[in-house]
Amino acid sequence: MTTYNPKTVTDQSGSHDPVKVKVRHLTKAYDELLVLNDISFDIRKGELLCIVGPTGCGKTTFLNCLTGFAPLTSGEILIDNEPGNLFRHNIGFVFQEPSTIPWLKVWDNVAFGLKIKKLPPPEVISRVEKMLDTVGLRRFVDYYPRELSASLEQRVALAREFAVKPDLLLMDEPYGQMDIKLRYYLEDEVRRIQMEEGTTVAFVTHNIEEAVYLADRILVLSQKPSTINEEVAIDLPRPRRFDAPEFVAIRNHVTEAIKWW
Amino acid sequence: MNSPKSHPLLLGALSLSVFFMSWIILTKAVGTKILPDPFQVIGEIIRLFKTPLSGRTLLEHVLFSLRRVLIAYGLAIVSGLPLGLMMGWSSLCRKIIGPIFEIFRPIPPIAWIPVAILWLGVAEGSKIYICYVGAFIILALNSFTGTRYVEPILINCARVLGANRKRLFLGVAVPAALPSIFAGLQNGMSMAWMCVLAAELVGGREGIGFIIIQGMNLDRPDMILAGMVVIGLLGALMAIVLRILEKVLCPWRRELV
Ligand SMILES: Nc1ncnc2c1ncn2[C@@H]1O[C@H](COP(=O)(O)OP(=O)(O)OP(=O)(O)O)[C@@H](O)[C@H]1O
Ligand SMILES: [Mg+2]
Repeated sequence: MTTYNPKTVTDQSGSHDPVKVKVRHLTKAYDELLVLNDISFDIRKGELLCIVGPTGCGKTTFLNCLTGFAPLTSGEILIDNEPGNLFRHNIGFVFQEPSTIPWLKVWDNVAFGLKIKKLPPPEVISRVEKMLDTVGLRRFVDYYPRELSASLEQRVALAREFAVKPDLLLMDEPYGQMDIKLRYYLEDEVRRIQMEEGTTVAFVTHNIEEAVYLADRILVLSQKPSTINEEVAIDLPRPRRFDAPEFVAIRNHVTEAIKWW
Repeated sequence: MNSPKSHPLLLGALSLSVFFMSWIILTKAVGTKILPDPFQVIGEIIRLFKTPLSGRTLLEHVLFSLRRVLIAYGLAIVSGLPLGLMMGWSSLCRKIIGPIFEIFRPIPPIAWIPVAILWLGVAEGSKIYICYVGAFIILALNSFTGTRYVEPILINCARVLGANRKRLFLGVAVPAALPSIFAGLQNGMSMAWMCVLAAELVGGREGIGFIIIQGMNLDRPDMILAGMVVIGLLGALMAIVLRILEKVLCPWRRELV
């Protein structure tokens, strides 16, 4: 049996990759409820970081702090070495809940961000068309979101966020609604987009197998008030195989690390 | 045998015929002096069409009421909608206008009748004003709740993508509020009809309310009922027009077939 020796990443200055997101002493409390407790880590440029942790530990809260939706209680988060600014930084956010725009047809939903960013119309058209093919929504361009299944609806949100070619892509359990075939396909897609565009990705998931398959590094959070239990760097070659002994060993290791019971 | 479910029209016709049968039976029981039957009411409507009452035919009376309602409704739209949208969108507006609004909101429009007559006279002004108050409150309230309670996720989604305040308002809050605004347009219209009737009952020499009050003074229940039927039909017609408008403007709300 293969055992796995974790390379716990503790020395953040030791890395040579430039830092995309710098989190320092992040503490977040909702009134009396302390959720994130003095958390510090980096997300490096072009890295795919998976964040796992027990339910309610504050994964969504972290993303909300990063975008400025939720004010920090203390600490700081820097994007490209400055405080996050939604007008300047090109961020994509795939929400955990359905987030399609109800009054826009699929096509216009996918174009939503491109129009906000005032891209020239030919560019909007070509990007939307390409994304529709990527997520397999071609047949549904004239549908309203409420006419779609949950999985299709989530694909609309994915296409909308991919289309803006964000340099920081936040994904909050994006594939929870999807069957296994589609999930495998979209896991490869997000990886492909990340490689092609050099996107930095923060990917929250409950699915440890998914995390090990995708991640360059996994951040394991503890139960709230959350701290970082462990950072696991994953340098398995790609494409990764779910049944490879090394893969299974890391998966088991992360599963152990996440256990809070 | 066909199930009644597959025949909504048949079912509707059935319920209507039961209604009219009961009406006719009731008329037989209490006498036409108290409750005229449906045919008498229709006859009276036709008569009012041809023979002027107080110098005006039914159509002219209808146009008088309609004019009052539509002027008031138009004014309510151009003032109530923006006010509600502003209160829903800007917390500053909400804090400034909100308390004043809360004072006036619970006052039923009809309670304005005496003071409106005192200030604006028994002529058009007071009647339009009362309809206006009724529709205004409803329109402002509905556009307020519509914009105030937009799904935060929709706002956040647009914000991450870089939308500015103006874009968030016009591109997210207003369309998200449209269904609620349409509910306000519907209810505001019914309220305006209610109010015009009340205003015309109190004073006035023309309008459908006047026909009804004349019917009472002349001890003509058929005339009263004729006025009531006409106002009901007009209200229903307006509601249908608004519903079609909503279907056109909010197509994403269409029911799944
Ligand atoms: N707006 C809020 N106000 C008050 N408490 C909140 C708010 N948002 C989240 N919380 C609380 O903060 C804690 C963390 O919530 P969060 O949604 O970040 O967890 P999560 O890790 O994303 O969970 P899940 O895996 O179920 O999505 C929870 O206990 C939740 O109840
Ligand atoms: Mg969450």
